[in-house]
Amino acid sequence: MGDHHRMMTRRQFLKTGAAGVALGMAASPEFLVAKEEYDLVVISGEPVAATKKALEAIGGISRFVKKGQRVVLKPNMSFTRTPEFGATTHPSVVVTVAQACMDAGAQQVLILDHTLHRAELCLERTGIREACKNISGAHVLALQERKFFQEIKIPQGKVLERVEVMKELLDNPVLINIPVAKSHSATGVSLGIKGLMGLIWDRESFHSRYNMNQALADLATVIKPQLTILDATRALTSGGPGGPGEVKKPNLVIAGIDPVAVDSYGVSVVPWYGQNFKGRQVEHLLIAHQRGLGKIDIDQLKILKEKA
Amino acid sequence: MRTFIQALSLFLFSTLFVFATYRLPDWLPADIYLRLDPLLGMNAVFAAREIITRALWSLIIIGTTLAMGRFFCAYVCPMGASIDFLDLLFFRRKKRQGIKAETHLRRVKYFLLIIFIVAALTGLSLAFLMDPMALLTRFYTFFIYPLAITLINLILDLLRPLFRALGWVSLSHLHYFQSVYYMSAVTLLIFGGIIVLNRLAPRFWCRYLCPLGAFLSFLSPLGLFKRRVSQECNECLKCQKSCPMGAIAEDPRLTYLPECIQCRTCANVCPQKAVTFPVSLSLGGEYSQIDFSRRGFVYSLAGGLTIGFLATQNPFTLRQSKFQLIRPPGAIPESEFLRTCIRCGECMKSCLTNTLQPCLWESGLSGLWTPKMDLRLFPCDQNCNVCGKVCPTQAIRSLPLDEKTHAKVGTAVLRKEMCLVWAQNKLCLICDEICPYNAIVFRPVEGYRRPVVIASKCNGCGFCEQRCPVKGESAIVVLPDGEIRLKEGSYVKEAKKLQLEFKPDPGDDKFVLEESGFKVENKEKRNILPEEKPQPKKLKGFL
Repeated sequence: MGDHHRMMTRRQFLKTGAAGVALGMAASPEFLVAKEEYDLVVISGEPVAATKKALEAIGGISRFVKKGQRVVLKPNMSFTRTPEFGATTHPSVVVTVAQACMDAGAQQVLILDHTLHRAELCLERTGIREACKNISGAHVLALQERKFFQEIKIPQGKVLERVEVMKELLDNPVLINIPVAKSHSATGVSLGIKGLMGLIWDRESFHSRYNMNQALADLATVIKPQLTILDATRALTSGGPGGPGEVKKPNLVIAGIDPVAVDSYGVSVVPWYGQNFKGRQVEHLLIAHQRGLGKIDIDQLKILKEKA
Repeated sequence: MRTFIQALSLFLFSTLFVFATYRLPDWLPADIYLRLDPLLGMNAVFAAREIITRALWSLIIIGTTLAMGRFFCAYVCPMGASIDFLDLLFFRRKKRQGIKAETHLRRVKYFLLIIFIVAALTGLSLAFLMDPMALLTRFYTFFIYPLAITLINLILDLLRPLFRALGWVSLSHLHYFQSVYYMSAVTLLIFGGIIVLNRLAPRFWCRYLCPLGAFLSFLSPLGLFKRRVSQECNECLKCQKSCPMGAIAEDPRLTYLPECIQCRTCANVCPQKAVTFPVSLSLGGEYSQIDFSRRGFVYSLAGGLTIGFLATQNPFTLRQSKFQLIRPPGAIPESEFLRTCIRCGECMKSCLTNTLQPCLWESGLSGLWTPKMDLRLFPCDQNCNVCGKVCPTQAIRSLPLDEKTHAKVGTAVLRKEMCLVWAQNKLCLICDEICPYNAIVFRPVEGYRRPVVIASKCNGCGFCEQRCPVKGESAIVVLPDGEIRLKEGSYVKEAKKLQLEFKPDPGDDKFVLEESGFKVENKEKRNILPEEKPQPKKLKGFL
């Protein structure tokens, strides 16, 4: 994935998607008003309700997931922390998205992360496995073995030329990123783009070998989630990424197609380490923006803000 | 019938062994076989000079042996079962000459028993070397268990394409954590040796060497069931030849009671059906005496004392810290620990993360096979307390999670000259990221943000040491300094007394920001090149 094929299919996908939307609009004019396209939807409320509403507002999950497709969800479940630590994605958010995908006719939903702590414990403590156990077709897996990864090239890589990614990403599944909003002591914040590191094998070289911010942008050129749903129901505003740290409660779920835009908005919702920042002030986001991976200035975005 | 009971016992032993891991239910005594072993129990009680509650279980075996004789060896002992089954597999057809020095060799086990008991009385735990339960548990831990995982993963890998084709998602991603131990080869050699000895005589180990068998032999003549041969006997000597223990005398009507394990092989092979095992209160006269010479007794007594003395006379013993040894959380103070630990390896098997490894001589000769934490290999998980739960002598105390969290095993120390951040200005933060207790924070040092360890928050779990991306030795290592080892009482209280806190403490990073006058330069927006120095007074990742 991520090479030329991927770009094509993605484009094709968007085209067909756009055609579908156009058709839909043509067919029912009152729909036109309801389904106005936003760059971002920002919904406040309880995790389940906010997530449902966010999915609905972004155009419905069926805009992204078609019948019979395979879906990969990438929550953050990297730490053996319970949800209140804010270090991992809220299980209710994950399960709501997973259920929506199955309802949209997905063939299966894989909920994947390459966890930092021991896999079994992460699945147990984050509550994500328990939350998803009743959805048939959904599988929560933490992969910690190299055999589950395969190397791909990064044609536009500046510091990374190749990277080993989970094999599940290789045959173009629908990828939905469900990061949690948290601080990070190397990259400032860890949101959607930083969360992509949970899909690769060698995380450590990002810290020890490469300029991490450039490497993250490189990674974002090949792993492109169709949808990013940022769980800002809680935000770990210090002590991230693993916590313990200060947990604030913005009670927001932010969804969008543009990964940089979602992250950039995420930066603005709470003060980090006690200070307010903009997306432009986060180095890896700025680099990603400059490399054409998305919009960073949220005042230029079309945003729907609503209560769930 | 006997084979069935043996198989059942071996199966039970293996099943409990499998269960001895993270999430072991509190009600399940996975270490029950080790608790039942009177030799291990005596060894620990004598060496530690106190009553160990779990060792009292061994009274069950002592009691039943007093009542029924040395049945344990024939029916219960999983080592005996392994020997019998492997014997069947390898040596069934081989003709065995028998051993000429039978009566002399037989004594060896008694001498060993005396040596072990005397050594234990001097405070040296030694029985683990040859106790069958400890031996077998070690063999399972260091060899069978890793091997089983390897095989299971191999099979899973082979079947993976099939699982994938069938769409069995979970199975196609199933992989079991492969444990590794330092002493697999040694353990295999020892166990293999025991089995190979069977080539010379069946149950060579049980007849001549097993110190537990020797102990049970002392009790066995008091047992109720005794072999009796009726008048039908025509002295065909079939029973004598088939007895796996060599317990039948020249005159096949007579039995060496201490050696008889009541396996009833003799009764089964007797063509005249002349052999029975009725209840009998007689003590069997001279045939129930244990025939070790007085000289042998004195020698082994002296041997035990000598070994007990020698063990204290080596430079390692008093220099525990020389090897920066990290013991598992809840391990009682070192000298008591060495006396109490029976080196069964159960803790190392049960260890969720595989950080527990056997010592060679890091803690002196008397510390062979005791558990140590190899934190560069794996950390200790904060949600797991299973090593104490399965410890049959409570050399590692069974602690609730909160207590275990406070059983500090050491303190992380940063080696600045090796640290990527201190020495090379790299954007590394892995130790900070992974630390479950926020004991590593970034602080401004001469304008740069540097990781430092807050010793009072570090309980030595070792996540930092394991994850440090520096090649070779870690740039952050856990040293035993500051460890808390309590024989009794609460670790939480002790930690409080020492003003330690191993709890999530929000806002620590924030404190650093406010106190240090960090300011973010909003206007300056430029890319940092990989080799460029990080700018002072700036948060990592923010521009």
